[in-house]
Amino acid sequence: MGSAVRRTLGRLAGALFVLWAVATLTFFAIHLVPGDPAQAILGGPGSQASQEALDRVRADYGLDQPLLVQYFAMLGRLVTGNLGDSYALRMPVAELIGGQLAGTVVLALLALLVAWLLAIGLALWSTGPGRASRAVAQGVELTAASLPQFWLATVLIAVFSTALGWLPAVSTGTPTGIVLPVVTLAVPLAGFLAQLMREHLLIALEQPFALSARARGESATGIRLRHALRHAALPGINLSGWAVGYLISGAVVVETIFARPGLGRTLLRAVELRDVPVVLGVVLLVALVYVVMTFVTDALSRVADPRLRQEARP
Amino acid sequence: MRSAPASVRMNRRLLTLLAAASGATLLLSGCTAAAPEAASTPTAGGTLVYASGDAEPDCLDPHVGGNYPQALVAGQFLESLVSLDDDGAIIPWLATEWTASDDGLTWDFTLRDDVAFTDGTPLNAEAVKVNVEHLKDPDTQSSTGYLALGKVESVEVVDDTRARFHLSTPDSALLESLAQPWVAIESPAGIARGMDENCLAPIGTGPFVVEEWVQQDHLTLMRNDDYDSAPADAAHEGAPYLEGIEWRFIPDSASRYAALQSGEVDVIDNAQPDTIAQATKNGSLVEIDAPRPGASNRIELNSSRAPFDDVRVREAFIRAADVNDGIDSLFFGTATRSYSVLSSVEPLGYSDEKLFTTDLDAANSLLDDAGWTTRDSDGYRTKDGKRLTLRFPVSTNQSIPAEQSLFEQIQATAKEAGFEVVISPLDISGWYGALFSDSYELVSAPYTKIGPDVLRTLYDSAGITPAPSGYFANLAQLNDPELDELLRSAASTSDTDERASLYEQAQKIILGGFYALPLYDQQNHFLLSTSVKGARAMPTVSTPTFADAWLAE
Repeated sequence: MGSAVRRTLGRLAGALFVLWAVATLTFFAIHLVPGDPAQAILGGPGSQASQEALDRVRADYGLDQPLLVQYFAMLGRLVTGNLGDSYALRMPVAELIGGQLAGTVVLALLALLVAWLLAIGLALWSTGPGRASRAVAQGVELTAASLPQFWLATVLIAVFSTALGWLPAVSTGTPTGIVLPVVTLAVPLAGFLAQLMREHLLIALEQPFALSARARGESATGIRLRHALRHAALPGINLSGWAVGYLISGAVVVETIFARPGLGRTLLRAVELRDVPVVLGVVLLVALVYVVMTFVTDALSRVADPRLRQEARP
Repeated sequence: MRSAPASVRMNRRLLTLLAAASGATLLLSGCTAAAPEAASTPTAGGTLVYASGDAEPDCLDPHVGGNYPQALVAGQFLESLVSLDDDGAIIPWLATEWTASDDGLTWDFTLRDDVAFTDGTPLNAEAVKVNVEHLKDPDTQSSTGYLALGKVESVEVVDDTRARFHLSTPDSALLESLAQPWVAIESPAGIARGMDENCLAPIGTGPFVVEEWVQQDHLTLMRNDDYDSAPADAAHEGAPYLEGIEWRFIPDSASRYAALQSGEVDVIDNAQPDTIAQATKNGSLVEIDAPRPGASNRIELNSSRAPFDDVRVREAFIRAADVNDGIDSLFFGTATRSYSVLSSVEPLGYSDEKLFTTDLDAANSLLDDAGWTTRDSDGYRTKDGKRLTLRFPVSTNQSIPAEQSLFEQIQATAKEAGFEVVISPLDISGWYGALFSDSYELVSAPYTKIGPDVLRTLYDSAGITPAPSGYFANLAQLNDPELDELLRSAASTSDTDERASLYEQAQKIILGGFYALPLYDQQNHFLLSTSVKGARAMPTVSTPTFADAWLAE
């Protein structure tokens, strides 16, 4: 067996282990939190469920079974690829997630793209000649990276919707509705990315290859674009895997504030209602995306950095 | 025709009426609201955008479960047999008249003979029978509607327009129960589609029709062009002026308000005290203040065990808790202190302010008398080595931020008397969990229901279930046979004066026993753009209705 095949199989097993561990942790974590899903299923705030109705719901959903029985039933379902039905919404989890997926994916991808553009722009600008730009960029990055999303969202709404009236405060289905949510997610992420990239750009610019490029008559901009950026992009690419987690947790906040349909809001609501199948479904999906992203960033790193390709050869 | 209790509601929802009639000038002038009404003539057309801060319903059929978010939206497309007018009197809606037998066990309802559901199915006695059976069927998983029909055994179809209700025991609250949106009448053909489909778009006789439901985003409601079954107190007959309603869900209160300010939406609910104060001060928006019926917002004191099994400790807590200063500083004049366990819109509500005056000295001597004489190093009282601790689970879904702050102020003032109040903010499932495991001494739970029969739900000893995980509404765990007897008699008497007197005696026992600390009515504030005219809150459970509304330019 070739080492590449072996490595792929190993990674696959690792990925399955991660998914199993995530499912197990999530399942027990949500059951550790006190709460009564039956009550939530029967209407939540203000509704007055009768004892008969509660008993019935508990029996219907298997909530009266011992926890371990419920756990293995859940695992059995998952193995066959069945995510189960939502307690609260009485529909298959797969269908529910399918309906909410697009909103979050578009939001996350746009945010990632905008964050990258902002970060590259900022990094290139601040590593140019002159010290002032560097100091300014450092300040901007640090501020951006430490901005809480809910605060940023509120300020953006106050400025661009309430005061200026340029953009809608809540997503209205029109293309402009997505601008503020994307900016809210992208700005702190761009701060992180830019910090990291600028650091590596500066290191790369001090390397001998930068000097020799300059000796060949390459312009300062040319060196940064054609040579150094490649080095600086590496940590950024690796960070993008982590960014998936950041974007999903950010989606919970952003989708709630801007009233956008999506997985973040679905997750929040499911946690509040102890809608275990939905929580598991969303968390597993996020874990899966994370695993896939790790594969992808790994592959991308190989493209960006020939040295990694070299090391991988037997 | 047997009419409802003749008691007159005092100035019930004066604000609501004025707001509906006059628009923007209301809160500035306060009393001269009638003048501009003539100037504005309803114009047809346009889509109103409504933004709800309540949870998005899981099911649009209010028979299933049965909570306030469902009532809010269902009121746009479903209608009930009877309604209430602004004085709290029962008025005709889908039923034109009703008579009760002398023993109170048989009620005949005469239905309108010219109404059809929006799927074409005629409204008749058979439809009423199907709806009652749907509500009583355990498979429907109804909770609120199921309780409302608790004494109804069956419905008999006398003829097409006459439905006869057979009761197990006389029910003085029957008409009030039937006015609630959780027992609205739906198309039998719609119900027959099964729960999954009916949940997505219930079919009623109302002014609007569910066109589309994009979950976690919005509902599209379209005008019912054939609509002609307005309740007796409606401003106009026939189809609504609006072409439709876009019903959005915006959970964040700041975004909701920002969307209203920037004109993206026309109406919001769950307006917060600070924004109401700001919006109405400059007259740019109109407020509808429509307190919910049933119980007031109150803190229940769990009297089932120490320390609150001792009436002196209960009174001490109530004397120590300074509520009024908190309401003044946190609610910006949008909430009025209540001294009743019933909402101020309930005609039979009884208040007693002097029971709730804050008096720290009295609290201290009551606690001394009760044996809580020593204090530990943190300043909390102790007895037999045990600290005077009160666990207070708070639902962050049900208590708005201002209310949570009020609880913190109560915590601080109760500390001066030596109470340790431990507030736990919980999400809705966690909060129910804390209640049903009986791990609380204090709790605030809203309860919306039409009429004083809510007292039986909340304070009859039958509402205490010993099962640790079981549901119970008697959160004060009040167990008093004399009170039970009063509430049960009141619920079955057909004599309106006797009913009023029995409920007054019952409330005196509840208030005098210091089982509950009333705060204010269940807050229910709507903010409207000044272009929205003719909207009002239903006098039933204070949900908004847009059957008479139009958009002025």
